[in-house]
Amino acid sequence: MRGWLVFGLLMFSLPLFLSTGTLRIFVMANFLAIFAMSWDALSGRTGYISFGHPFLIGIAGYTTAMLTYHLGVPLYLSIPAAVVVTMIGGTLFFLPALRIRGTYFALVTLAFMEIMYHLTQVIAPKVTGGTRGLSGLPEMVSGAIPNYYLTCSVMLLIGIGLWLLIRTGLGTALSAIGVDEEAVKSSGLNTNRIKLFIFTISAMIAGIGGALYVHYLGSIAPRALFDINFLFSILVAALVGGAGTIVGPIMGAYFLTFLLEYLRPYIPGAGRFVLYGVITLVVYYFAPKGLYSIFSSLRQRLSGKAGTG
Amino acid sequence: MGTNRMTFFSIMATAAVFMAGVLCSPVTMAAKDPVVVGYIGSFDSDTGKSTIRGAEIAIEELNAAGGVLGGRQIKLVKADTREDVTEGIKAYEYLAETEKVDFIISGSIDDVSLSWLPRMAEYKIPTLDTWTSYVGIIDMVVNEYDKYKMYFMNVACDYALATLYVDFGKDILADKMGWKTTVVLQEDTAFGGGVFELVDQMLAPEAGIEIIDHIVYDTNTVDFSPIFSKAAESKPDFIYLISSVRSQVPSSQYVKLQVPVPMTGINVAAFGKDFWNDTGQMGGGTSTLSPIPSVGFAMDDRTKAFVEKYEAKYGNSRPIFPHFNGFNAYYGMYNAFNAAERAGGFAPLDAWVTEMENEDLKIYKDGKLWLRYGFWKPGEIEPRTNREYTHNIKFDITQPLDDGAPSMVVIQWYEDGSTAVVYPEKYATGEFGVPSWIK
Repeated sequence: MRGWLVFGLLMFSLPLFLSTGTLRIFVMANFLAIFAMSWDALSGRTGYISFGHPFLIGIAGYTTAMLTYHLGVPLYLSIPAAVVVTMIGGTLFFLPALRIRGTYFALVTLAFMEIMYHLTQVIAPKVTGGTRGLSGLPEMVSGAIPNYYLTCSVMLLIGIGLWLLIRTGLGTALSAIGVDEEAVKSSGLNTNRIKLFIFTISAMIAGIGGALYVHYLGSIAPRALFDINFLFSILVAALVGGAGTIVGPIMGAYFLTFLLEYLRPYIPGAGRFVLYGVITLVVYYFAPKGLYSIFSSLRQRLSGKAGTG
Repeated sequence: MGTNRMTFFSIMATAAVFMAGVLCSPVTMAAKDPVVVGYIGSFDSDTGKSTIRGAEIAIEELNAAGGVLGGRQIKLVKADTREDVTEGIKAYEYLAETEKVDFIISGSIDDVSLSWLPRMAEYKIPTLDTWTSYVGIIDMVVNEYDKYKMYFMNVACDYALATLYVDFGKDILADKMGWKTTVVLQEDTAFGGGVFELVDQMLAPEAGIEIIDHIVYDTNTVDFSPIFSKAAESKPDFIYLISSVRSQVPSSQYVKLQVPVPMTGINVAAFGKDFWNDTGQMGGGTSTLSPIPSVGFAMDDRTKAFVEKYEAKYGNSRPIFPHFNGFNAYYGMYNAFNAAERAGGFAPLDAWVTEMENEDLKIYKDGKLWLRYGFWKPGEIEPRTNREYTHNIKFDITQPLDDGAPSMVVIQWYEDGSTAVVYPEKYATGEFGVPSWIK
C-alpha cells in the first residue's frame, strides 16, 4: 500500500513541474492504463484471452454519448448508466463465450467487436451518428490539468481496488484458473461463478474507462473504438508492462504512450510507428514477463544490497 | 568641457534607453519569432501530401516576399493523423500544447476532422480544412457559431457537391445518355456511407434514376470480379462507384474485366495524374466528380504558375499533380494571412474571424470569374438550397455559375490517358463518354 501512496503522491505533484502538453500525454496514458487493467483483470489472470474489450468500451462510450447528445441527460446520470449497461450487456454477450477456452474464446470475442463496428453504422445511424459518429459531446472537465487529475484519480482508484481484490482468496482462485482450471474445479470451487464475477469487474472497469474516454475526446466514431489497432494497443500495454500484475499494465501504458508521442517531433509520419513497433518487440524480447519484472528485480537487488550493506 | 561631458552622457543615455526600447519593443521581439502554422492530416496519402505541399509553396512565397505580420517568417510544423480518429485528437493536442501554433491547416478526412473539432473549440485556434467536405461540420458552425467560429472549410461541402451532381445526373446521365437505373458500389468507410446517403436521397428522386442494388465492399478488396458480376446481373444502365480508398483497384479491374456496364461516380484516385500509372494505364473510360481544380481543368495564369512551381519542386514524387486540396491549401494560406494582416494577427480571434469572413479572392480566366476563395457569412442564405453554409467556401451551384466557382466538376479519363472536364458546360473541355468495349 505504501507503494501506491508514493506513486499517487508523485503523480499528483507532476502538474507542478510538467507542461500542459506532457499532461495531455499522461491523460491518454491513464486511459490506456485503465483499459489495460480491465483486460488484465480478466485475461491476464484467468488465461481467457479477450479480443473483445473494445466492444465493452464501445458499449459504454456509445451509451453515454447517445444519452447526452440526443436526450441531454446530465453526465452524472449518463456515465453510471453506461457502466451498468456495459456490465449487463457485456455479460449477456460474453457469458456463453466463457464456456469455451483458448483460441475459440479469443475469436468469439473478436467477432463481438466486429459485429458492434457494423451495427453502429447500420442500426439507427441517425442515433449513433453512423460511420462518422458523433462530435461535440459534453466534457466532464475542461483543460489539461483538470483532466489529468480526473483520469489519474480514476486510474489510481481502479489500480488500488484491483490490488486489494487480488490479495483476497478470490485473487488466488483466479490465478489458479489461469494455471489449471480443471484442478480448481475438482477442488470444489465453482469456476463459472468466479469467472462471471471477474468478468463483471472487468466490464465495469472498461465501462468506467470507456464512458469517461468519449467525454474526454468529445467525439465518438466506430473507427475510434471498434478498431484492431485500439485492441492491440490495449493488449500490448498489458503484455509489455507485465500481464497478471496490476502495476504492469500501467507501466506498459505509460511506456507505449510516451514512446509514441516523444518520437513525434523527430520521426513524423509512418516511421514513428515502425520504430515504436521495433522498440516494443525488443523490450518484449528481452523482458518477456514485462517491464514490471525488470522493475521488481531491480527493487529486489537494491533492497538486497541495502540489507547486506 | 563639463557641459560637453554632460551632453555626451545625456546622448549616450538617451541612445541606450532608445536602443533598449527598440530591442524590447513588441514589434522587434515579434520579428524574431516566426508565425507557426500547424498541419494536421495524413502524411502518406496523395490528398494529405497535396495539402502539405500547397501550404509549403504558399509559405515559401510569403517568406520570400519579406514575411508576414511585420516581417515575421512562417514556420510549418506537421502532425500526422494516419487518417486515424484518435491520432487526430492527439495530433491536434500536440500542435496546440507543444508547438503552440498560431493557425492550423488541415488535410483531414471526415471522421478525423470531427474527432478534433472539440479540441479546436477548446483551444480556439483558427483552423482551415482543405479536404473534408462533410456538411455536418458546416452545420455545427451554423448552429453553434460562437463555439466553432474559428473553423473554415475551403472545399465545397458534400451537400453542394451532391446538388451539382444531381444536375449532372439529370442533364447528362438521364437526358443525354438516357440512363434510368443504377447499381451503387460503395466502399465501407465513413465517406462512402455519407455520400451514399446523399445519392440515395437526391440523385434517385431528383434525377429520376432508380437505385436497383446497393453493394458495400471492404476497402481491402483485391478481387472485384464477383462484385462487378453481381452488379452486372442486375442489368443497370450504369454503375455508380463511391470509392476514396485505393480506388485505382476497382478502376483498373473494371477495365481489365471489360465490365459491360458504364461506370461513373466518385473515384478519388482519379482526381490525380498518378491514376494513369496506378491503373497500369488502364484507367481509361473512368469518370468521376471532383472538387476543383482537378486534372483536365483549364487553369488561369496564377493557378498555372502554382502548378509549375509544384512540379519543379516535387518532380516525380507522387502526387505528381496536386489534388484539389493542394490548390485549396495554397490559396487558403493566402486567405488566412491576408485576414491576419488586416486583423493584426491571428489573435484576438474575433478580429481574425471577421477578416477571414471578409476574404474574397477572385481569380479570372479570359475575363470570366473562374475560381473564388471566399466564404459564406453567418446568416447568408444560398438561394438554390435555401440554407446557410457559414464558413464554407463561396461556391456557386446556380447556372450560369457566374458568381463563384462551381462546387465540383465531372472529369473524364480517356483511353489514351488524356483527361478533360465534361461538366458543367462553362468549364467543359471535353465530352462525357463510355469505354470503347461498351456498345
